[in-house]
Amino acid sequence: MKRRHFFKVSALGSGSLLVSTFIPLACNSEEQETIYWDPNFFIRIDSNNLVTFICSKAELGQGTSTGLAMIMADELGADFDKIKVEFADGSKEKYGRLHLQDTGGSNGIRMVWNPLREAIAITREILIEAASKKLALPTASLYTSLGYVRSSENDQKIAFGDLITVASTLPAPLEVKLKDPEQFQYIGKPIPGKLTKNASKGTVPYSINIKLPNMVYATIERCPVWEGSLVSYDDSAARQIPGVIEIFEIEPIEEQDDDYKGGVRAGVAVVATNTWAAIKGKEALEIVWDLGPNAKYSSMDVHDGLTSYRDNNRTVAVNLKNAESLLNKSDQKLTVRYDSPRQAHTCMEPLNAVAYHYGYKVEVWAGTQSPSMTRERIAELTGLQETEIVVNNHPTGGGFGRKFTCDYIEEAVIVSEKVRKPVKLMWTREDTIKTSKYHPYSSDFWEASLDDKGYPIAIGYQGFTGGPSAFRPFPYGLPMAYRSRLRYINGWLVPRASWRSVMAHPWALGLESFMDELAHEAQIDPLEFRLNLLKKAEVVKQKRDPWVGADLYPAKLVGTLEEVADRSGWFTNSAEDVFQGCSSISYNTSYCSMVVHLKRGKNRLYLSKIFATIDCGTVINPSKVKSQVEGSIVWGLSALLTPSITVKNGQVEQSNFNDYPLLRISETPDIEVEIIQSDDVPTGSGEPGVPGVAPAVLNALFMATGKRVRKIPINLKAF
Amino acid sequence: MELTINGEGYSFELEDNGMPLLWVLRDILDLTGTKYSCGIGQCGACTVHVDGLTARSCITSASSLEGKKITTIEGAHSIVILSALQENWVAIDVPQCGYCQSGQLMSAAALLSKNPSPSEKEIRDGMRGNLCRCGTYTRILEAIKKTAEDLSS
Repeated sequence: MKRRHFFKVSALGSGSLLVSTFIPLACNSEEQETIYWDPNFFIRIDSNNLVTFICSKAELGQGTSTGLAMIMADELGADFDKIKVEFADGSKEKYGRLHLQDTGGSNGIRMVWNPLREAIAITREILIEAASKKLALPTASLYTSLGYVRSSENDQKIAFGDLITVASTLPAPLEVKLKDPEQFQYIGKPIPGKLTKNASKGTVPYSINIKLPNMVYATIERCPVWEGSLVSYDDSAARQIPGVIEIFEIEPIEEQDDDYKGGVRAGVAVVATNTWAAIKGKEALEIVWDLGPNAKYSSMDVHDGLTSYRDNNRTVAVNLKNAESLLNKSDQKLTVRYDSPRQAHTCMEPLNAVAYHYGYKVEVWAGTQSPSMTRERIAELTGLQETEIVVNNHPTGGGFGRKFTCDYIEEAVIVSEKVRKPVKLMWTREDTIKTSKYHPYSSDFWEASLDDKGYPIAIGYQGFTGGPSAFRPFPYGLPMAYRSRLRYINGWLVPRASWRSVMAHPWALGLESFMDELAHEAQIDPLEFRLNLLKKAEVVKQKRDPWVGADLYPAKLVGTLEEVADRSGWFTNSAEDVFQGCSSISYNTSYCSMVVHLKRGKNRLYLSKIFATIDCGTVINPSKVKSQVEGSIVWGLSALLTPSITVKNGQVEQSNFNDYPLLRISETPDIEVEIIQSDDVPTGSGEPGVPGVAPAVLNALFMATGKRVRKIPINLKAF
Repeated sequence: MELTINGEGYSFELEDNGMPLLWVLRDILDLTGTKYSCGIGQCGACTVHVDGLTARSCITSASSLEGKKITTIEGAHSIVILSALQENWVAIDVPQCGYCQSGQLMSAAALLSKNPSPSEKEIRDGMRGNLCRCGTYTRILEAIKKTAEDLSS
């Protein structure tokens, strides 16, 4: 096939998002050229009527690409079943650094909803204007549906693809009207989407499946202690492994101030003709490490360090409603400590990336939550301009915060720079557990002063949360004092990464267990206790960046709590072998309440059912929202009921699913999720279901046993 | 080495005859539907069928499988139970990230071929070898139940 290229750019309107481009995709003299129009960075329309949605956000299984494609299809009037979904490469020029591209905090839909609808509404109006010219009909008589501009007066219609030549010459309207929700064909429907179909056939294009011409495969044996260094290595046995091509040192890139960023550990890379040889070669290396200062410390040192830090730092940093003096007023006080452990992410698709460093430019193919920040980071790493770096983003086998950090992509770039070939860098499962980045160990101290009836007067908190935020809000309206943030006294020990629901997880373990404890102190039903407080509480204002949510409405928590109480029969259950626990969580402007049923079987306690209710504003796709809450509950149960990550002498003690097991289907209770109907702005559903799981189960455990457990994980069989 | 995969013969040479089937499928034969996730037979993402029974391809050397009938997710369309499962996987919107689902489907198909109408407990026990980090278990359960019903009617 012969290719001819020509390129034409014409600015439409004043917005920087409006650029139209013509490129013949592929053509020969017999075939008609396919041309396309891309009026903004979310959409491309081909002359053969193919509408492509360009998804700026990452797809990790949370369904955002399906949800956004539905929004686009509705606003445009496209046929959802015929649109193609592509993932945008990393570009802060197009999408802004975090807002429309880098994916985290359960805000994929929330952040993109408005800009996407506005851009697509403009596209729709331009297509209608073009059709008006071609059909000689007034624009007021035209509308879009299923990929056509149609006349409302007769059966005339014209396909989008036949309008692009005219459309690309037209200016954008100064004002557009977004569609009325009543006109939505897709939004609100449980549509499985393309990813579901592909996943059921095993054909999702994960980066781990990529094979490029001349590509080699690499693994890295990393220093088992963070910030340790390489002394020497013997690769004679590794070089005997058939398929091993090359072995070389990987130098740590930086002493990191911010462990959340990228950063590469000291290591030895093995390059081979296939993945198996690269894994065998890595196993055959004999390495001498200088384990460095972190090798002096273990998990208990961190725990004890937090205790001593707290003993010496008790100042109140944020004092709301005079809480500090109210805390000191009463003699009756309750002070408790909650501990939650390190966690690994163990995405089912282990970390991997393909990189090709050409010497003067770099192209990478990876599943990443942060394509634009990754591009920025690779520029820093290589000294190249961002314009010379392409980060192709692939749907990925789980992210959960781990793939927000791009260390695994940096490693692929470093290895490719040395071999000047495309390299697929593979982490083994052991790598993802032993030498990864982790959800950090947390201790949270909660205190309350009580009146003579045991009712709370004021609350005090000291932990890793410095003050009110949309990720970790205190919704109950009581006077609240935040003491100074806790610190690790000997550094982080292992590097950190965001982990599904991040610091809301330890925060909620404390908050929702403590509210339960207070309810019991006051001898009030714990769910009613929450309702009473929330009904009196005022809106919690959110003044920070929109990335971290908007104002919190306690009334919305009330809505979810009342729904889940009704559905689970909280106030009417009389079964003697069922013990109930509840929690109520707001996370980044979504609201989720749950009720747990813990049952006493013949010899043991077991979870029989979890009910959850979420309010996440307008629901784009109820199947995906429910999926996310179901998955969040399984995630929360894994964190609560299976062993966690522990560190001994600087080294993580777990290595694979044999000693770091996840919850299995045989251990999963029945889960029933409902959604509150709402016309408000859509908010996230990927994380709000996580933080409330552990406290709800522990609150039920208290009902069953009278024991208040404040440290996770737990072994249910021990009760 | 010669292998029969999804009814087709594949002939190729390996530098290392100990290479597990998983990497032969993925790196040599470009059959990437079967997934690597743990490498020690603990998670089930690499599950295939060998002569109709489930096998963990990450710990099964390819050379031990000559002369046997290997089925991977790519061969699902010619197997009634697998195709029926796939239909319900879509209808019930089971997958999230999707990465473990090839293995889940292969295990579910083996379960239903052995036991066409499993109880809920039998499904949970039969599927406990397959991990899903996204937490799609409740839908996997539902989709297997539904498929058992569909196939029996």
